[in-house]
Amino acid sequence: MAGIADFLDSLIGGFDLICYSLTIGGLFWGLFVLRPWNNQDGYNAVLLQKTIALIYKGGFLLAAAQLFKIILKIWLMTAVLERWPFPEFAGTTQFVGGIIRTLLAIFLAGYCYQTLSKNPFSRAHWTTASIVALPMIISGAWLVHAAGRFDDRFMLMSLTVLHQLAAAAWIGGIFQLVNLWLLRQNNLVTAELWPLMLHRFSRFGIASVAMILVSGVPIAWQYIDTWNGLIGTGYGNLLIVKITLLVIALGFAWLNKSAVQEYGISGDHYALNNRVPYYIEAETVVLITLLFTAASLASQPPAIDISNLTASWQEVLNTFSPQIPQTSSPSHNALIAGEAGRVAIIDQVPSMAATEWSNYNHNIAGIFLTTMSFFAMLSYIKHLPSSFSAFDKYLPLTRYWPLGFVGLGIFLFFRSDAESWPLGPISFWDSTFNNGEVLQHRIATLLVFTLGMIELSARITKNPHSKLAFVFPILAAFGGLMLLTHSHVGFQAKSAFLIQVGHTTMGIFSLILACGRWLELKLDRPGKDIAGFISVAALFQIGIVLMFYREPLY
Amino acid sequence: MKKWIKLILLLLVFGQVTLVIAHAVVTDYSLKVTPIHANQPGKVELTFNSKIELGLSQIFLVRKGDKHELLQTETGSKQGQIIIHIPALEPGDYAIRFKIFAADGHLTEDVIHFSVS
Repeated sequence: MAGIADFLDSLIGGFDLICYSLTIGGLFWGLFVLRPWNNQDGYNAVLLQKTIALIYKGGFLLAAAQLFKIILKIWLMTAVLERWPFPEFAGTTQFVGGIIRTLLAIFLAGYCYQTLSKNPFSRAHWTTASIVALPMIISGAWLVHAAGRFDDRFMLMSLTVLHQLAAAAWIGGIFQLVNLWLLRQNNLVTAELWPLMLHRFSRFGIASVAMILVSGVPIAWQYIDTWNGLIGTGYGNLLIVKITLLVIALGFAWLNKSAVQEYGISGDHYALNNRVPYYIEAETVVLITLLFTAASLASQPPAIDISNLTASWQEVLNTFSPQIPQTSSPSHNALIAGEAGRVAIIDQVPSMAATEWSNYNHNIAGIFLTTMSFFAMLSYIKHLPSSFSAFDKYLPLTRYWPLGFVGLGIFLFFRSDAESWPLGPISFWDSTFNNGEVLQHRIATLLVFTLGMIELSARITKNPHSKLAFVFPILAAFGGLMLLTHSHVGFQAKSAFLIQVGHTTMGIFSLILACGRWLELKLDRPGKDIAGFISVAALFQIGIVLMFYREPLY
Repeated sequence: MKKWIKLILLLLVFGQVTLVIAHAVVTDYSLKVTPIHANQPGKVELTFNSKIELGLSQIFLVRKGDKHELLQTETGSKQGQIIIHIPALEPGDYAIRFKIFAADGHLTEDVIHFSVS
């Protein structure tokens, strides 16, 4: 059960940050963007109640997440240490700080639920809620990465809290914008509020992002002291992922800002109502992924502490260099024969068969994906060039390209974990629930298989109102999330990183695939076609990364 | 349709991550300069990059055949330092395997190999 406890621990970190953003970002939204005491803006009770509900629900969920974290820690320690961790655990900062933060979060959520929701237009009550939030925000300082450091501890703790606060202000505001759009769609608020709030949030968003950078750069500087540390460690790699996601989110923010400016100049609100809401939806997905990546980053040792385990940029580049895909696999017997030596602590012998087995799996999966994305691209074409026109009659068949996912799912089920059922001696349930890595592979396999079945149904359905097509981008986004937070268990930090770097690259492309497909389904032309092409191109890129994948030997 | 999506999302929620390589790492250890001599009890100093909750950590000696033996430990004089008491050992290859609970709440496992001659 340690495997489950271990990976729930990582999951709950991202969930905790989402709840924190809902609560703290919601308060910022109320104080600086909504400003409910300005009745001339045409607010109504529904808007205020929904806004405050997001804040207190976020607060209660934050308290639950914090408590669950403690329970999970107890579970994990009991499993790993094979004994009850009390009384020692009761004296740790994690336990004391966690309990205090839980109580403070309940107090804040309770105040918003009991008092603020009954006085939603009162400036004094919004200010009081922010003051009540302060101790909870500060208490978080003892639960972050920096709390265990020896040098510049308080500076790092303070900067991290500030960084979290700025991120929560921005991301919580995006959540509130989604909420506002849903109310606007259901005609529960006046139409004028949408452009007004977008305009106000643009300025607020810029300030939040500036604060994210101002607080984040010194932290990164403190934890990563060399370029090699940025390129050649798991910590640096996840920071690069965070920066990439931030740039993508800022791209959507820029599109929103442009639409607001265009409305200000021309008075044409077409883009505001028909494009901006979908950009915000995609931005939300990117930012949620960013929060999970941030939670994973906190689990990595800082690059500055592992200079002897840092990969060189040449080694990182080699992971992506074009190579002929490996299309032959070592036998299962050869693989199993090398396993005892590979996992031994004393007299460890690296297994070439294990490395080749893994390379084969990744490379074949890459061939699956590049072939599928080729047919996916063809499915958007009405006619082939004249010299290939004889094949035009076969073009309708290309819409069946998602079948490739079904085949890939079956392939992965048999090949991902050779030591487990059906190929290996470890039973299905034992391997699934006692090994976090195997569980991830099983879920990924299920994800791929389901993705294929549902997307195929979506593309051949005759029902024009079918929502099936939306499942694909949702599952692709979850797949991206898994890849971005995926880690291979092992004691060799450098080798594990060289595996991780390929997975995180694919994770970013999965997210682009998801957002592209989502926008293709929602936008009008020409944005629809551009987003669709970017989506398929991202799938092709994932295939290319997998085709050239080479695992380090250890 | 909605039930389908909910079911899939639920499965995916349980399909998240595990990061065993975590925060606490060994930045220095005495075995680099002070080897363990055969048939004599010894001490090994490990220095971590983070504060350690020693009462919630375990350190094992691993012998040939991956046999584990729990070792006695104490807090060192420097920040993040742990002192491990090693019993008298015959010449051969050994490892120190540790499960460390860092002050930031992360559990880390790692191994240090060494030889006795």
